[in-house]
Amino acid sequence: MRLNVILYRVMAYLTGVVLIVLCVLAILQAFTDDSALVNVVGTVHGGLYIIYLLVAFPLSRRLRLTAGPTVALLLAGTIPVMTFIVERRISHRYIDPALAALPAPAPPAAAPS
Amino acid sequence: MSGTQATRRWRFLYTPKWLGWHLLVVASVIGMLWLGDWQLRRAQAGNSLSWAYTFEWPLFAIFAVFFWIKTIRDEAHPGDEAAPAEVSLPAGTRQAPAAVASRDAGEPGEAEDPELAAYNAYLARLGKEVKGHGRWHGLR
Repeated sequence: MRLNVILYRVMAYLTGVVLIVLCVLAILQAFTDDSALVNVVGTVHGGLYIIYLLVAFPLSRRLRLTAGPTVALLLAGTIPVMTFIVERRISHRYIDPALAALPAPAPPAAAPS
Repeated sequence: MSGTQATRRWRFLYTPKWLGWHLLVVASVIGMLWLGDWQLRRAQAGNSLSWAYTFEWPLFAIFAVFFWIKTIRDEAHPGDEAAPAEVSLPAGTRQAPAAVASRDAGEPGEAEDPELAAYNAYLARLGKEVKGHGRWHGLR
């Protein structure tokens, strides 16, 4: 669980940063007409997003997210700036309570919200 | 498990909410495969970047199907995910072979006692069985 959360946060920020870089480059491309760099960064983002999905989906199952937040979590990696927003929301609402409930061995109803 | 029980367990799949999700998944998978095909045509037309996306889109389609199946299975068996890796008590089952091994460690020569090996295998099997189970507390 903890490892999954750490991996998710790393991938969320990495994917988010690369996506923003990609967007900036794509805008610049309109002026410079050199597509090589955009292609490279685009491919990198594609690869990162695959890893992001592989990390985010198990996390969504561990947190028992309903369909809406799950879809938001998974699609966040494709929308600029969205990873940061979703990461915050998910952390506040789901990850923090789940982690707080971890060390206590017994009752799942322990975390008041 | 009786037939009616099984039917009841899967009945949620026909609710309007889930039918909507099924439709969405099917549509998005078709969409992703279409995009993959489109990228393949672009790649064959000489756009070298498209080769990456030619493989990525089908991969995303596979992910969608896989995630969908996993979600449905979790929904049908809510208890399965209750105790993932954080079960505390199999530690006892794991310590046992180590303790036995350290007791025998004073005697070299005998590489592997078949009885001990069988016991360890039994413990390993037990530990594996218990892992996804989480109800070990009452049994000790």
